Amino acid sequence: MVADSLVKTFNGTVKALDGVSFEIPQGTVLGLLGPNGAGKTTAVRVLTTLLKPDSGRASVAGIDVVARPQAARRVIGLAGQYAAVDEALTGRENLLLVGSLNHLDRRARQQRATDLLDRFDLSDAADRTLKTYSGGMRRRLDLAAALVARPPVLFLDEPTTGLDPRSRIDLWSVISDLVNDGTTLLLTTQYLEEADRLADQICVVDHGRVIAEGTASELKDRLGGTLVEVTLDDDGLAAAAVGALSGVGDDHDSVKREGSVVRVATATGPATLTEVVRRLDAAGIEFAGLQLRQPSLDDVFLALTGHAAEEAATAPKSKPSRRQKEPVS
Amino acid sequence: MTTSELRPASNSLRWTISDCLAMTGRNVRRLMRAPDQVVFTLLSPIMFTLLFRYVFGGAIRGLGNINYVNYLIPGIAVQTAIFTAGNSGFALAEDRGKGFIDRLRSLPMARSAVLAGRVSADTLSNAVGLFIIIAVGVAVGFRPESIPGLLLGVLLLLGFALATCFIFALVGMYASNVQTVNAATFPVIFPLTFASSAFVPTSTMPSWLRAFADHQPVTIVINAVRALTIGNVSSAQREQLFAGQSTSSLVIQSLLWALGIGLVFGSLAVRRYNSTSI
Ligand SMILES: Nc1ncnc2c1ncn2[C@@H]1O[C@H](COP(=O)(O)OP(=O)(O)O)[C@@H](O)[C@H]1O
Ligand SMILES: [Mg+2]
Repeated sequence: MVADSLVKTFNGTVKALDGVSFEIPQGTVLGLLGPNGAGKTTAVRVLTTLLKPDSGRASVAGIDVVARPQAARRVIGLAGQYAAVDEALTGRENLLLVGSLNHLDRRARQQRATDLLDRFDLSDAADRTLKTYSGGMRRRLDLAAALVARPPVLFLDEPTTGLDPRSRIDLWSVISDLVNDGTTLLLTTQYLEEADRLADQICVVDHGRVIAEGTASELKDRLGGTLVEVTLDDDGLAAAAVGALSGVGDDHDSVKREGSVVRVATATGPATLTEVVRRLDAAGIEFAGLQLRQPSLDDVFLALTGHAAEEAATAPKSKPSRRQKEPVS
Repeated sequence: MTTSELRPASNSLRWTISDCLAMTGRNVRRLMRAPDQVVFTLLSPIMFTLLFRYVFGGAIRGLGNINYVNYLIPGIAVQTAIFTAGNSGFALAEDRGKGFIDRLRSLPMARSAVLAGRVSADTLSNAVGLFIIIAVGVAVGFRPESIPGLLLGVLLLLGFALATCFIFALVGMYASNVQTVNAATFPVIFPLTFASSAFVPTSTMPSWLRAFADHQPVTIVINAVRALTIGNVSSAQREQLFAGQSTSSLVIQSLLWALGIGLVFGSLAVRRYNSTSI
């Protein structure tokens, strides 16, 4: 999948995409990470033939989506940001409809619907209308609908937004399985943890531009390996701490303050930790907490954009250890 | 199984027809699962039937020996057809709003099937609605002069209903929700259905209004259906009721209106659907 210098402007003023480029090798997962309004959905809509770019090229499985949209539709599956399933139909009817519109013959689509309902743990609810489904069930059905025709290229636009933590983790494992089957996947997310967990490569987008790309660990390396994080009682004390700590860390701007938290980026964690304690002690500044940790993607985002990922605060708060890249198996 | 085995090329007429049927089936199923919606749409024509049959009917003059209920029901039927066609706009706006249309657009289906499936389903629901309204009419005394005439009238009405569906569908392609569709269409629908021959002969209206009422399509279609069901009338009555036009002329004009509306609004709706994506 290739996106090459995509530009899309809405109403002549809103630059939803401002020259977005990325490439996804076959069978790998790209995480498009960015806050609300970054342009993620617009990028997905262009690549899935729903929206014509003002300029730039986009192709899926080698098929140009603008020149041959109908051919492109034959190789893609899309689960949009909002579960696009029919409330009034049952789970099975939804999948049968999609199967029929994909021109699977009757036997094939019935078999496929049954298999998918089973795989997504919806067999018991298969013949109930979606009015009785929970949010997590709808999302799973939406994902199942995207998979009916076994597309080699899949788009998931914020697949877990709005789900409770338990459903989110369930969905993650389903997506991991898919990826193991060799599907090429473009996943958009506001959750840094999600990109870290599922994607091989991450593109960070903000205001319609790719502002960074790389693997999760490459992005973390940009922050200089390790963070010493000091929590103080208030912002004033934190500002004083920044003064006391000037010069600590790898270079002159290693020390950053966010509210009452001060972070020092460093390649030599333990030594810096000792230095930090010594300096604060000498300055007579008491601190409420102190820890040495790997930078999270939240930190990366903050460093790259100068503002926090807006929705990150609503993501389930997780311990630093869970943020380590787990082998996707 | 590889993808190409699973998904054959989809450009043939056969797939287009099967896509249209699949979409019609989905839409009909939705309508059947929410019958309250259909019933609700029929509520106001039924109220008008009772109101005009029993409250105002006695005061309406200018019909000669024609029983008012036989005059009224064709008007009510056309009104019902227009109201029921409104669902094409509501349902499309809803499907767009919920992202369902996006899912459809990402599938290798025939693009025309979305619109075709919509208007087909709403025309079928119109057939049911008309059946109910005519049954109500019969219950309050409606007696069509000829059954073949009635059947012809219903067919004509369904053709007109189909064309009307395209008007609403076009609005539904722009409007973001049901309320907007309502707000956008009500100011047009209201004068067209009431400044017509639906409830009173246009000969009783002031001449400026009559000039409009006699020539607008809703009156033409009502008069055609009325002429088909009411039986023979004297030439004086024909002058009063149908502005002197013969039954066949009214039927042909109705067909032309339906065809014209269907072509214009149908192609605008198709254009709109295609223009919003690749
Ligand atoms: N159809 C549209 N009309 C006008 N503006 C739009 C439209 N779709 C998206 N936008 C604007 O484009 C920007 C990017 O939106 P979007 O791609 O939905 O972001 P994301 O999915 O990352 O939250 C936002 O500022 C949004 O308001
Ligand atoms: Mg989005």
